[in-house]
Amino acid sequence: MTSKKPLWDHDAHSLHDLFCEGAASAEEIVTSHLERIRSADSSVGAFLYVDEAGALEEARRQDRWSAVERRERPLAGVPVALKDNIVAQGMPTTAGSKILGEFRSPYDATVVVKLKQAGAMIVGKTNLDEFAMGSSTEHSALAETRNPWDVSRVPGGSSGGSAAAVAAQMVPLALGSDTGGSIRQPASYCGIVGMKPTYGRVSRYGLIAFASSLDQIGPMTRSIRDARLLYEVIKGADAHDSTALALGEERTVSQGPWRIGVPREYFGEGMEAGVRQVTEAALERLRSMGHELVEISLPHTPYAIAAYYLIAPAEASSNLSRYDGVRYGMRAEGRDLVTMYEKTRDEGFGAEVKRRILLGTHALSAGYYDAYYLTAQKVRTLIRQDFDYAFREVDFIVTPTTPDVAFRRGERDDDPIKMYLGDVYTVTANLAGIPGLSIPAGLADGLPVGLQWLAPRLGDLSLFDAAATLETQLEPMVWPMGVDE
Amino acid sequence: MELSDREILHVARLARLRLTADELEPLRQDLNRVLDYVSQLQSLDLAGVEPTLHAAADQAPLRKDIETASLSVAEATKNGPKVEQHMFLVPRIMEGGSDDE
Amino acid sequence: MNQYQVIVGLEVHVELKTATKLFCSCSAAFGGEPNTHTCPVCLGMPGVLPVINQEAIRLATRSALALNCTVRAVSKFDRKQYFYPDLPKAYQISQYDQPLGEYGWVTIRGADGAAKKIGVRRVHVEEDAGKLNHLGQRLGDATGSLVDLNRAGVPLIEIVSDPDLRSAEEARLYLTELRAVLSYLDISDLRMEEGSMRCDANVSLRPADFQGNLEDLPRVEIKNVNSIRNVQRGIEYEVARQRELLAAGERIVKETRGFDDATGKTYSQRSKEEANDYRYFPEPDLPPLVLDPQWIADMKRGLPALPDAIRANLIDRGMPEKDAEVLVLDREAYEYWQQATALFQDERLVTNWMLSDLSRLINARGESFANSRVRPEGLVALLGLIQSGTLSGRMAKEVLEAMFETGQSASQVVKDRGLSQITDASAIQSIVDQVLKDNPAVVQDYLSGKEKALAFLVGQVMKQTRGQAKPDLVNQLLKDSIQKDYAPSQD
Repeated sequence: MTSKKPLWDHDAHSLHDLFCEGAASAEEIVTSHLERIRSADSSVGAFLYVDEAGALEEARRQDRWSAVERRERPLAGVPVALKDNIVAQGMPTTAGSKILGEFRSPYDATVVVKLKQAGAMIVGKTNLDEFAMGSSTEHSALAETRNPWDVSRVPGGSSGGSAAAVAAQMVPLALGSDTGGSIRQPASYCGIVGMKPTYGRVSRYGLIAFASSLDQIGPMTRSIRDARLLYEVIKGADAHDSTALALGEERTVSQGPWRIGVPREYFGEGMEAGVRQVTEAALERLRSMGHELVEISLPHTPYAIAAYYLIAPAEASSNLSRYDGVRYGMRAEGRDLVTMYEKTRDEGFGAEVKRRILLGTHALSAGYYDAYYLTAQKVRTLIRQDFDYAFREVDFIVTPTTPDVAFRRGERDDDPIKMYLGDVYTVTANLAGIPGLSIPAGLADGLPVGLQWLAPRLGDLSLFDAAATLETQLEPMVWPMGVDE
Repeated sequence: MELSDREILHVARLARLRLTADELEPLRQDLNRVLDYVSQLQSLDLAGVEPTLHAAADQAPLRKDIETASLSVAEATKNGPKVEQHMFLVPRIMEGGSDDE
Repeated sequence: MNQYQVIVGLEVHVELKTATKLFCSCSAAFGGEPNTHTCPVCLGMPGVLPVINQEAIRLATRSALALNCTVRAVSKFDRKQYFYPDLPKAYQISQYDQPLGEYGWVTIRGADGAAKKIGVRRVHVEEDAGKLNHLGQRLGDATGSLVDLNRAGVPLIEIVSDPDLRSAEEARLYLTELRAVLSYLDISDLRMEEGSMRCDANVSLRPADFQGNLEDLPRVEIKNVNSIRNVQRGIEYEVARQRELLAAGERIVKETRGFDDATGKTYSQRSKEEANDYRYFPEPDLPPLVLDPQWIADMKRGLPALPDAIRANLIDRGMPEKDAEVLVLDREAYEYWQQATALFQDERLVTNWMLSDLSRLINARGESFANSRVRPEGLVALLGLIQSGTLSGRMAKEVLEAMFETGQSASQVVKDRGLSQITDASAIQSIVDQVLKDNPAVVQDYLSGKEKALAFLVGQVMKQTRGQAKPDLVNQLLKDSIQKDYAPSQD
């Protein structure tokens, strides 16, 4: 090895190149990352499960590949972590809950099949809010995850483990899932790149469902080029997912300059001053690059959180009914069936999950369906239409990813509404099914601030292209637990 | 539309969740705050607006009727908390449950 | 005292005959060792998603069209939610407010022959549940249950009738006709004892002065009865039970009841469950089911002849209604008949032999027309021997039985047993002469006008020829000989 830089300090592109050139073996790469996990994760707590033996075995297998075999696989030699609501055959999957018990999946999620085909080496599973319900990873029933930038703060959530693992350089790539912002918000809090694809672009087969009409798996990385690489590997139609879109034409845009929409509803009250400063500086940079900033309106934005907190719990209440102690997972014994069901679910689910199951069950129950679920789905139509209209005027929309920076652990434990309002800038993309990308735009008081890019449906690749032009204009990230310069 | 304790217990029963007395009160407060918050949707004029019932594809793909290998029975049942004769054992079905209602 | 009208509606579940399940590629075959036809999808594992089997949709569409339904070009799937150990996801993927087919009907005919249209409100597609094996005599005293998910996810159609049936007998007629229609479509095994066809009956009594919506009457649902006969018995019992309750001034409680085959009674199955609230909502994992209207039209054109048309055709051709009914209701018999009549002109002879001797032999052996040892070609060959006079009707019966026993052809049986009919008068004349000579008293009886006496003489000749003489020839020879040799001279 010629570089003095430790292998864990490289991004995926670089690792793949080192491996293909023979400058680093897969075993060296994996070993470096496993060591990094061992040293850094005691303070961060990103991982729920590390498959050292499996990763090393895969690495040794890859080390027998020829240069051609390595080049054929875009992720050969690259370690990847999975949010622990994505199943991989033989590995435990917990969804951050006690209720899955010792469950080990007999099958691979489609994204895992694709990762393996692409040569990725899966090193483990990362922490999350239980069943992805939360914005801080504090609702994990199994472990505590801290923000690498300040361990007294949350990493965001629900993909907080993946975000923290990437930011602390324990892996270059991780998968997250995003139902209302669960990739983009922790990416923003941890200063990394996180992307939620167009709904249907990535198969959900093997993703433990939270809200089926909103969930998408997406990449979490330290660079836009890596995010794009990972996205290209996992995207595509799937015979196991009826909602995965057949490969249609990707939307393309010109080289620019672009018309960039700035929605006034996203710059109102509730945004922290530091976030506003960083966002405005980034917008100014875009203007100076020659793009036209256009003030637009997405008038139904104020209703998005309310619609989201009816639709998502309703679907979740149904999706979580299968955890009944019969076929897998934990069971609390009871003298009869109903007692067994109730005890299992009482002991197996945490408070936030129960809260959402009750809310969702109520929203679907006789006499309330129209007022709650159906109404929310109509509002969803209005939100989609807001974006349809906006994208007739502009090529992209740029907003802050979150109204705030990473908050202190324990700070928002008791107030669901306050917690839910943190999703205000991200849920609209899920409701509208459009892609969203969060990139680090700078720091406010030493904490990262994310900038969110939105594009119309199937504009996923254009998002990477557009945001990459800005990435080169910004100060390079100095990773919080990185190598001392 | 405030939820009463009784209604929450009914919903809990539908969802097969057993709520203890000390869980009930904070949950009732939380749920009512959320329901109060979402009630703002009622102020929108939604006449003529179609609900978004399907998020992505406008047509379900259809699969060919060709059998593929099932799991082995060992794989199918290995996660079962209680398995007898290759089947999942559940306690007696009749009677029981919480008598909250 | 109030008069009551019986109101019955039926929900029939039919398992579709596909190779694989509705939403996964596991075998949909009946039975199998427990949990051997399962995969992550039908086990309801975390993360799985449904993908629709196109053959199930084809068979369901065919059924809906055959039941005169309008088939929606766009329908959707919904989740019906309840907890039960045979339902792995705790929801059944079904169709709620946009079923595949609607507004159809089935025509029934009562004993008086009058036709009545019974509305088919909807035909929708859904997945079956698994099977529970109770550890104990029955559900009530079981100490536990074992869950086998082989059947979980097998495609079903549910056919819901309007509440148009007015008696247990009409319910029987409806089910019989419905099964007949479906039998011509090759969509299901339709075996009630194996559960590939299941029926729930909703029974209520309408007071004569009740003007409201039928749905508002207190209704009792009799669940999962395993034969058409028992559906009829269950409804009869339930009507009597409700009448008694009402006569005693009591109220009918809306509830679910089971049917006990042994006692012929229904019994309450209510547990402490609260009223069902299935919390239906659109299945977010499945986009709408969209069918090409041209494909639907082609499917409709491609339907085979169905009982109504077949019945009309047979009666047009002169078949007695009763015979036509028997043939139509047994698709295998009808197809047998078609094959036989394609080879043999005398349709009446075919019908008569099929519905009498052949049916008797088939039933006695527990066979069916489809798997009967005597194929249509064999029957037709036998009938040919009757028509040519080689065999008498009586001999033919014997030959048919032998064909069943041995699997031999008619001509082989005739040859082996030396059974062909004697049609040569000279060969019989000497026997006739001898019989007349041996029975002078009987001859006198005949001459004195006792027609029956001749039959005795015929019988004697037949006996001596071991049945091989042609009966009408014997008849003629006897008459001629008596006239010639015994009658008093007329001149």
